[in-house]
Amino acid sequence: MNAEERYFWDLTGYLIVRGVLSVAEIEEVNRALDFAAAAVAARKEPTGGSEELAGSPSRWYHGENLLALPHPHCEPFRRMLAHPQVVQRLVRMCGKGVRLDHGPQFNNAVKGTQGLILHGAGQPHRPVVAYHHQNGSSLCNGVTVTWNLADCPAGGGGFACVPASHKSKYAVPAGVRNCADDRGAVVQPEIRAGDILFFMDGAQTHGTHPWRNEHERRSVLFKYAGRTAVRAHMDLASPEVYWEEEVVDGMTPEELAVMWGPFPGDHEGLRELVCHEDGTVRLAGDAAAGADGPRATGGNE
Amino acid sequence: MSRLAMTDEERYHFDLRGFLVVRDALTPDEIAACNASIDQFRDRMIFHEQGSQARGSGAFAAETGCGELWGLLGLPAPYRDPFRRLLVHPVVVARLNELCGRRFRLDHGPWLITGRRGMDGQRLHGGGEPFSPADWYHQQNGEIICRAVTVAWQLADVPAGAGGFCCIPGSHKANEPAPDGVTGLEDAMNLVVQPELRAGDVLFFAENTTHGALPWRADHERRSVLYKYTERAGARDVGPHFTPRERYGEWTDELAPEQQALLYGPGLHTAGKPLPYIDSDGARVWISEVRQGPDVRRGPKGAAAG
Repeated sequence: MNAEERYFWDLTGYLIVRGVLSVAEIEEVNRALDFAAAAVAARKEPTGGSEELAGSPSRWYHGENLLALPHPHCEPFRRMLAHPQVVQRLVRMCGKGVRLDHGPQFNNAVKGTQGLILHGAGQPHRPVVAYHHQNGSSLCNGVTVTWNLADCPAGGGGFACVPASHKSKYAVPAGVRNCADDRGAVVQPEIRAGDILFFMDGAQTHGTHPWRNEHERRSVLFKYAGRTAVRAHMDLASPEVYWEEEVVDGMTPEELAVMWGPFPGDHEGLRELVCHEDGTVRLAGDAAAGADGPRATGGNE
Repeated sequence: MSRLAMTDEERYHFDLRGFLVVRDALTPDEIAACNASIDQFRDRMIFHEQGSQARGSGAFAAETGCGELWGLLGLPAPYRDPFRRLLVHPVVVARLNELCGRRFRLDHGPWLITGRRGMDGQRLHGGGEPFSPADWYHQQNGEIICRAVTVAWQLADVPAGAGGFCCIPGSHKANEPAPDGVTGLEDAMNLVVQPELRAGDVLFFAENTTHGALPWRADHERRSVLYKYTERAGARDVGPHFTPRERYGEWTDELAPEQQALLYGPGLHTAGKPLPYIDSDGARVWISEVRQGPDVRRGPKGAAAG
């Protein structure tokens, strides 16, 4: 990763590396995607009520992990996972010990497919995906690498972002978020088949413009993370899965609330704790302590 | 002043110095209950080798290794109960909701640090430089976001000059590395403080505040119980599902080591399991380092039972 790339990455929050895949390699990946295409399903995604982002439901792959497809279809994705052109940059973007957090995902938009409301930002600060620069080194806890297997011409739709938004300290205005009044802040860079796109997933404000091309979109997204950041694998996070039985056996709901493994998303089991004036700690939304309430806590109040 | 909400003064001091002491959070009965549980399991204590935590500094080496008691949340009932109360004590919840963010989590611990007069200290470690994402401290638009906060409950007095926890106030924001002479106390530049604490007090400190422990000089036992919290999506301990096979299944056995390296679970404390790091020059990828972190679930291996 040379000085020009580091400058562009730090400044804008994304980076395109041109021509990483040869024509033959693109064809190989596309054959694997042809195999996977049967598991592409439509789903409606938020557009913020904007005509700018409206269209038919988005189209994502919902099958088994692309890395675990039958041979030979898994092979190109496995090469992408630890491709030298990716690893060389990721260890400088995410730090030593970078890991795949989730994915790869496959987007298969067709002409008229909707966009996706822009999301992520420097404000509020979210350490699980945030960006930091200090003494010549930078760290971003959430980096997505998008492999492009079809051209994305400028104005044709696909990945869109707000350059420099990973350093913003203000909330994103609605007109930028839904692209209805972005005052020129949003760009949709031209990307060609064989290029790879790195972007700060969550730190940078980004989303998708509706697909306007005659050909289908073919993008494969790998979601990488810093060594101590977690965004997926909720199934491994519940207290009874994450801890030994004797550690959590007999715990109150309030105690269990802090025993979940790392996972940032919403889940009915993941509840906030609230301190009440009577000195009790309860799950947010629960009534005051009763006979079956939490353990009494003495304190000196 | 209510202890059930973090005050502006507390925010100021934590942000300024990287640590905070809340006085008298426990009643004498609660202190006694914790100490009684510890006394019951004294035979489970383990002791570090003398000098091992001084890491080359004579200022931290004394006569005996530091003692620890692990597994406090999993002790047989009712001995575990006092430590489970501390886990979500209102004084802790009120502050961690702000410091680590709502839905904070216990990453590892708790464990007791104990020992008598002449017990080793621990060399100073941590700091704002080099930057460590695992214990990132950040303040933005009035909000503190601290990825790793240690809560240390005091079950015995820590008079000024007695030893125990010490730190360099403000070092969580340092942009220069701490000199060896400071972390080893050969030339501490008068930067290191050892706050006076009393039994029942609770100490909060940002993990990236440069901190350690001075050798224990009081006649009574040191008794401090440490809980290691983090923000909801932070992982310092690797947890039980760590290897590619544990997380994804048997198909990962087919992958090259460099591919497998990207499929390990999150975390730095690997319980002694090897964690490969990779690097690349753009043309090839190789294993650049194999990390083996400590076991922060069961305690240090190799330490002697007491």
